[in-house]
Amino acid sequence: MSHPTTRKSAEGPLARLRRPVAEGSSAAVRFEGGPASRSLRCLHCGTAVEDPEDTYCCRGCEIAAAIIRGAGLGRYYEEREEFAPRPQPALDAWHTIPVHVGEDGVADVRLMVDGLRCASCVWVTENVLQRTPGVVEAAVSYATGRATLRWDPARVDLPSLAGRIAALGYRPRLLGEESRPDRDLLLRLGVAAFAASNIMLIYVALYAGWFGGMDARFVTLFQWASLVLATPIALWCAVPFFSGAIQGLRHGVLHMDLPIALAVAVLYGHGVFTTFWGGHAYLDSLGMLVALLLAGRMLEGRSRRRAAEAAVSLAATVPATARRIRNGEVRVVAADELRPGEIIDVGTGEECAADGTVVDGAGTVRMAIITGEARPVAIGPGDRVVAGAVLQDGAVTLRVEAAGQETVLQRMAEQLRSAADRGARPSRSDRIAPWFTAGTLLVAGVTFAVWLIFSGVGVALTTCVAVLVVACPCALALSRPLAAAAGLGAAARRGLLFRSADALLDLVDADVVALDKTGTVTRGELTVLRADDATLRVAAGLERFSAHPIAAAITAEAARRNIPLPRAEGVRERVGEGVSGFVDGREWTLRSGGPGRVVLVDARGSRAEVHLGDSVRSDSRRAVRAIRALGLDVVLLTGDHEEVASAIAEEAGIQQVIPRVDPEGKAEWIRSRQEAGHRVLFAGDGVNDGPGLAQADVGVAMGTGAASSLLVADGVVSQGSILPIEVGIRAARACRRAIRLNQARSIGYNVLAVSAAAVGWVNPLVAAVLMPLSSLMVIWGASRVEAVVRGGSE
Amino acid sequence: MTAVVFLLPIALLLGAVFVVLFLLAVRDGQFDDLDDPPERILRD
Repeated sequence: MSHPTTRKSAEGPLARLRRPVAEGSSAAVRFEGGPASRSLRCLHCGTAVEDPEDTYCCRGCEIAAAIIRGAGLGRYYEEREEFAPRPQPALDAWHTIPVHVGEDGVADVRLMVDGLRCASCVWVTENVLQRTPGVVEAAVSYATGRATLRWDPARVDLPSLAGRIAALGYRPRLLGEESRPDRDLLLRLGVAAFAASNIMLIYVALYAGWFGGMDARFVTLFQWASLVLATPIALWCAVPFFSGAIQGLRHGVLHMDLPIALAVAVLYGHGVFTTFWGGHAYLDSLGMLVALLLAGRMLEGRSRRRAAEAAVSLAATVPATARRIRNGEVRVVAADELRPGEIIDVGTGEECAADGTVVDGAGTVRMAIITGEARPVAIGPGDRVVAGAVLQDGAVTLRVEAAGQETVLQRMAEQLRSAADRGARPSRSDRIAPWFTAGTLLVAGVTFAVWLIFSGVGVALTTCVAVLVVACPCALALSRPLAAAAGLGAAARRGLLFRSADALLDLVDADVVALDKTGTVTRGELTVLRADDATLRVAAGLERFSAHPIAAAITAEAARRNIPLPRAEGVRERVGEGVSGFVDGREWTLRSGGPGRVVLVDARGSRAEVHLGDSVRSDSRRAVRAIRALGLDVVLLTGDHEEVASAIAEEAGIQQVIPRVDPEGKAEWIRSRQEAGHRVLFAGDGVNDGPGLAQADVGVAMGTGAASSLLVADGVVSQGSILPIEVGIRAARACRRAIRLNQARSIGYNVLAVSAAAVGWVNPLVAAVLMPLSSLMVIWGASRVEAVVRGGSE
Repeated sequence: MTAVVFLLPIALLLGAVFVVLFLLAVRDGQFDDLDDPPERILRD
């Protein structure tokens, strides 16, 4: 990652592209109002700059603006609500990704785009892509952050398209496999809703006929019409329930689908019988039952799919290539092709593509993906590095020891995947279903027998059917999916996504919250801990064009403190010696000053330090206090030394600290708590947290963390904060309360209704009034979940 | 009242036409993404 050694912003090939910008004001945009109103800001990303000549803070922003204006989209800068992110050089190796080309010769791919902050971001990204020659179709979704691209492979390729997105400051990532929306269920629901509503209209006429008297011919017509409408409902729309019930029976479990299938069969059979041989049918109840249950099923499926989608989009795939050196010749190859013993070359800012030993060169690496440790480690000849480690500065040559699937990272991911498969728990949702089915059948049988003795077959059959009809599993079967959809949705809107309703409900019983330190309680990335404004200003000026992580931390801190970036001239960056250049006419050098700090020195020998390191997230303390207020214990688990760990714990307000535990140690500690009768929630972000996440009753991965930790987790926090965990606990509690209350209500309803039916008080009209009432009750109960969660957060 | 004998099937047939249209719309993928299109119109 080299950058120009000297620069003057008014020069260079892009200077002419800047001219249109200057319309109106001579240089950078002046922003009215606010504390920073007098400072000048980069036109693209909004970083403060000192010199009125500087329209942009860095070359990346200049290029981004050139692309946007080049595509005729300059309107973006007037209409957007948020500044764009600062472009970072893309590290992903897009050319290694196989592209699917359709029969029509058009290639297509779906990407995840990070950093889309406002509608204008989406608009500009979409339009820049659409106006790129060779692109057939480009659509970016603001809701999901996904981009769908179709292009002509002869005219443009994926690396250049991805490069264009990255040049604007947004980060494209490849998406893994995703489930498509369930069109089949929607079709069934649509047909069921249509047929059911028409049956109900017809039945209004029939009920009116009961009281007002109706010509028998019309009764027959209406009955036949409703049977015609009910047939697709019973024979096609209700198929998922039948197949569910049959599958359940085959596996020896009485599924909630069984009473539903039974009810549909009885209602439809009875309907056919009465239409031919006379009597009152319950076809309106049949239609409503199927339509409501399909709607509930679809709602739950949708909120689950949303959570799964979000988890997939957080699990970044890391396409890796390597520069292989063979016979003195350097070639870029896919990381999978590397063999042990081969020599590869790794430069600043790149990821090691394989496990290996350093044979030449020196530098510092960040192994956060393996160790979860943010602090860079110095390496030299003889040291071992693992694939996935990022070389922060320097350049090294490695002898490959393991590549592809054999690397430490891949083996860990594989272990985690198999652990996750083993840990798949059976659903506990259907504990009531068998009792319900058995109870209904028993009451129906007894009713039939008793009425048979006293009144004969005809009355016995009618009453028995009435019992089966009103003992409708509708409310009971709806109570869970609706409350689950509400709970999952309430948690997801606040940043905690769960794979399933079971995972969410497991959270209710958790009484210990164990938190990993790095990346969970802390940011897990390099930030400026301590530096005075004057030092920071000069350092940021020197580093403003660099892509180095330390440079990023310094310029980000300067932007946060609203320090305008000064113009630096004659900037030289040398590996191992740091950066030097002129600011305010004085020559400065910024170089490493030992672990966790860089020093800024000038020719006259004055010296100032910038301390860098991992810092506690600003809202961790608030989150910890809120979790404790809910009655849970909070524990910090870390591989760090006691002093570091206690300092962090104190800052975050955590009282119990378990220092110096390795990944297995974390899982072991969690197991010991579980054996002591506790339910443990564990939140972590690194690959090294995998065993803990798999062992815990509820594992929550930080979406900002390592991809493989997402594989084993039950839930994912989609933002850099642990606050959503607290909200998740409340959502889970509200969700379970709603489910229990709903189940109690629907069982209460069933007891009353079945008793009434057994003594012969129920006819189709009563059933038609009772059934929607019980379902409405359940829907109302589920709708309370969001209100309860919202009420608690204010 | 006899009109009902004709009106009922006609009404149901009309309804069936809309069900078929709905079927085609679903097959076409018009219901796959319900979140984005409403916002898209604000962007253009």
